[in-house]
Amino acid sequence: MFDSSLSSLGAKVVVATSSDENHPPENIIDGNTNTFWMSTGMFPQEFVIRFAEPTSISAVTVDSYNVKRLKIEKNSSQNASQFESVTEKELENTEGHLQSNTISGIGSSATHLRFIITTGYDHFVSVHRVSVQN
Amino acid sequence: MVKLRARCLLVGDAAVGKSALCHMFHSDGTLFHKNYSMTTGVELLMKCVNIPETSDSVELYIIDSAGKETLVEACEKMWGQPSLLCLVFDLTSEQSFANCSHWMERVRAHWQGLHVPGVLVGNKSDLSSRREVQASVAQEWAQSQGLEYHETSAKEMNNFDAPLLSLARALHSLYQERRETIQNLSPG
Repeated sequence: MFDSSLSSLGAKVVVATSSDENHPPENIIDGNTNTFWMSTGMFPQEFVIRFAEPTSISAVTVDSYNVKRLKIEKNSSQNASQFESVTEKELENTEGHLQSNTISGIGSSATHLRFIITTGYDHFVSVHRVSVQN
Repeated sequence: MVKLRARCLLVGDAAVGKSALCHMFHSDGTLFHKNYSMTTGVELLMKCVNIPETSDSVELYIIDSAGKETLVEACEKMWGQPSLLCLVFDLTSEQSFANCSHWMERVRAHWQGLHVPGVLVGNKSDLSSRREVQASVAQEWAQSQGLEYHETSAKEMNNFDAPLLSLARALHSLYQERRETIQNLSPG
């Protein structure tokens, strides 16, 4: 699964709090770090990824820029609600190149992953790719 | 098409006309409160501004914060992390201008190292016979602080929307700049 994009596996971004039509949330799951979703101001910002079926996840890798604090939540229901907290992490500032962080310990299976960006190193942040390791 | 969002902090001494300006801007010049009513907390007003020659817009969440010294500390808790700054003084009060440097210190503590576009506004330009602050002096100080200077009269509807429109445009250019930077990033 590491090599295929989440969208090719049927995953969808079902919630995103910002939209620039040139940089839509689908860019997060197309497996390509050259395309990105960009936040359009203020925090928190969040997006929710829905998997086609309950998916067992050992770790997620997030490629981003200017994200400072990231919270990840998950659930295993059909609806994008009632999330349980997975982790909260402060990411390092990387000037001039992407942040790439692998977060393990997701545990068991999930149908939704929710990513909440509570603060940034700039007014605007971008997320280039989310990939999942089983 | 992009809709940007910004937290715009509106500060300055009490009675310089922050709320008057803000309400005039919010109501497109139709609402000027003739009677003074001091803002004792924080008032939030939202206004969507279209950016000329684009299909983009900026939603300004204007945080009109009490200017009275004893109330400021409580209000600061609600400032959050501002994206834009509008600092107002009264052109007929030298003191309100002098206090602007204190206001800058206060708000800078909330910027967390970010670049925050800002404007300095000299309000009550209609009271020309009582003017205590010369435009050139205010202009020079504004420049030293990286602020753009405007003079307004909320009462006479003079230039009242210029400062906030200019801030919306500044945020829009900042967004475009950042987007370009991100497009040219190398992979991690």
